[in-house]
Amino acid sequence: MQKQITEANLRLLIDSLILKRQRVIGPRQSGSMVLYEPLSSASDLVLTEQPRRSVKEAFFPVCEDLLEYSKQGQQVELADIEPDRFPETVIFGVRPCDAAAVPVLDSVFSWDYKDHFYLKRREKTTIIGLACNTADDSCFCTAVGLSPDNPKGTDLMLTPLTGGGCLAESHSEKGEAFLITWKDRFSELDGTKPLPLAQPAATPFDLKKIKNWLDNHFEDPVWDSIAVRCVGCGACAFVCPACHCFDIIDEGSEKAGKRRKFWDACGFSKFTNHASGHNPRNLQPKRYRNRIMHKFKYYDDKFGQTLCTGCGRCIRICPVGIDIAGVLEEIEQQDDSVK
Amino acid sequence: MNPENKNRFEPKIIAFVCTWCTYAGADLAGTSRMQYPANVRVIKFPCTGRIDPVFIIKAFQQGADGILISGCHPGDCHYIAGNYHARRRFAAFRKLLEFIGVDLNRIQFSWVSAAEGGKWVDVVTDLTERVRNMGPMVEFKELALEEQWSGGLDSPDLQQVYEAI
Amino acid sequence: MTQTINTSGYSAITDSIRNEARRILGDGTVSAVIGYTSSRREGSTQPTVITKSEDADKLLFTAACLNNLVVYLTKAKKDVPHEGRIGIIVKGCDLKALVGLLGESQLKRENLYLIGIPCNGVLGSLFNPSAELNSETIAPKCRECTDRIPAGCDFMPDVETVGLPELNPFYSSEIARLEALTPVERWEYWKEQFSKCIKCYACRQVCPFCFCEQCLCDRNRPQMVEQTPRPSGNLAWHLVRAMHLAGRCAGCAECERVCPMDIPLNLLNRKMAKELKEMYNSEAGFEVREKGPLTSFDEHDDQSFIR
Repeated sequence: MQKQITEANLRLLIDSLILKRQRVIGPRQSGSMVLYEPLSSASDLVLTEQPRRSVKEAFFPVCEDLLEYSKQGQQVELADIEPDRFPETVIFGVRPCDAAAVPVLDSVFSWDYKDHFYLKRREKTTIIGLACNTADDSCFCTAVGLSPDNPKGTDLMLTPLTGGGCLAESHSEKGEAFLITWKDRFSELDGTKPLPLAQPAATPFDLKKIKNWLDNHFEDPVWDSIAVRCVGCGACAFVCPACHCFDIIDEGSEKAGKRRKFWDACGFSKFTNHASGHNPRNLQPKRYRNRIMHKFKYYDDKFGQTLCTGCGRCIRICPVGIDIAGVLEEIEQQDDSVK
Repeated sequence: MNPENKNRFEPKIIAFVCTWCTYAGADLAGTSRMQYPANVRVIKFPCTGRIDPVFIIKAFQQGADGILISGCHPGDCHYIAGNYHARRRFAAFRKLLEFIGVDLNRIQFSWVSAAEGGKWVDVVTDLTERVRNMGPMVEFKELALEEQWSGGLDSPDLQQVYEAI
Repeated sequence: MTQTINTSGYSAITDSIRNEARRILGDGTVSAVIGYTSSRREGSTQPTVITKSEDADKLLFTAACLNNLVVYLTKAKKDVPHEGRIGIIVKGCDLKALVGLLGESQLKRENLYLIGIPCNGVLGSLFNPSAELNSETIAPKCRECTDRIPAGCDFMPDVETVGLPELNPFYSSEIARLEALTPVERWEYWKEQFSKCIKCYACRQVCPFCFCEQCLCDRNRPQMVEQTPRPSGNLAWHLVRAMHLAGRCAGCAECERVCPMDIPLNLLNRKMAKELKEMYNSEAGFEVREKGPLTSFDEHDDQSFIR
């Protein structure tokens, strides 16, 4: 279904949702950064910048409780978290590179084990995407098979029009239902042209060729030369819209506490550290190799797509300037014949 | 007990003490039948040099309202210089705590020797009364309840609804 | 008003360090040189380790060479070759960290070949690496830098740099501003800052002084610091880190630069440095010393706060 909405109506719509006690998330100014955060009114919305962190935290929080325990004498009480208490949520202004990562996460969290914490939050959320009209030199969505107006992962996709307002196209039942519920705010198409889309400079990667090389080069000196500079922080994984590793820890005392799930990253040396003290990924190149392998080989092997949407966040924030697009270029140039 | 004191705030005071001087001093106060507030919980260390600033943070997080750190007088350290190191470390740590906005009146440092049961009573009583007048230490406790927005279960609006039920 | 900063000497510095790297790799003085090289995006740079003299032309120095390369010499970076003598490119601020590590017996001076950079300032962040260096884009640490010319290096390009214009200091005025607030206001300020933390540990990983094999904050038996990225554990983590760096941190400000959540971490470190200077007249990074202010003592230290 295609509709049109003026900018004023979009803001009214957001305010109406907030009035209806729905949680509305969108890019907003948070100190020096723009982040996806709950909006308190439509005027909070900032659409000129890509948020510093991805939208994944709306479904896969930085840290969340899994259960509570308390102990009295010999009696241990466990209390589960009720997923019914996750709020109904609408997310506005989700960039295509963020939205496209949501189906990627869906596959992981509903594969052999159904992660109710993720799935329940996901079920209660409507994603409203926004096409990009600007890109910087870190953006490379077009190089990994996406585009600045790709609707993948969105329920409703907004495309800015010349002269203000947006084209709204539904891409799921949720999106369609949303258009029907709020039909007063939308109007029929009047034939206005969309604004020119962003044009990231990156040329498309030959992802097949890259995967083919990865298939055959688990051990290769290239890993050392690429990753020698990696210092082993988790910044790239934490800002990534598709990275989904987490750790679980019990925090509290012997009397009472909580079991919590929080973001983890394969760049950390303790990520694969065994209780014995042995660490199979004992050096940083092995850890960085896992990052690339997981994104462009393992995930592809299992789910038939790559685990990277080209948002460019890791390029912008890497403390030591590791540029994943540059790394892929380097791998693409390698001889992929099997030795 | 005086009935009008029944509802008054009883602060939790954690005392990190060295085993050689202050612990023995507190012991002397006990064996001499001196009275001091029961608000203080004593944790014994080999030496003040072993007391890591992280213990103070942890104590506040776990609900302490006031903290006492006490060891041997300069020159009396069983390990020769542990208390000299502690003196510098806590001088620095106080500045850090002050910088992030912790009221230093909640933390007391003292030298109490094994013979100073009376001084132990004075130090503990003064700190307890001071903290009692300041009220509970809420900053760390409130912080412990805060979540990143994404980890919260209810949006603020919904929380109001739940509370109304 | 925005003032442009003269970086015209940087291309001559680049030529000079290339020649020197070619020479010392060629004649076997060093087995590797740690320096900066260009990256894919226009103007961006990344650290590199070269081992062959023909790779010397890959090295460069620009206003986007922000990293403190000294971190690659520490035992935390096991994958960087540590055999033989290593050449390393250091700015004045980086050298202060290196001096600290020499004092802590983490490095041996005879195993290093120091290539010093007469630095005229670098950018504050790599978000826009091709930005012009001016009084707005310059790194906060450079605004109050007093060590533009690293002392005691084995080689330094013979390039005249004109020096920085007079810039308002950032850290000292920000510390003074915070000190003037009430405790409640300060608590609110830091609470907001620390709440942003997502525990990516970029601050720890780029720090030359965070070389512990096992970080206290990664331990959970006992768990002294909550590992989860919640406001409470974040505050504890940053306080513990500030304490562990007190008297050692010389202000390369890498922790603050790399923080993806823009937490002003160097403010804590500068505050501690200021207090330790006032109390014990001790400053990190100027001389190789075996003991810092918090690993030594004086019998007559102030104890007015102790009863």
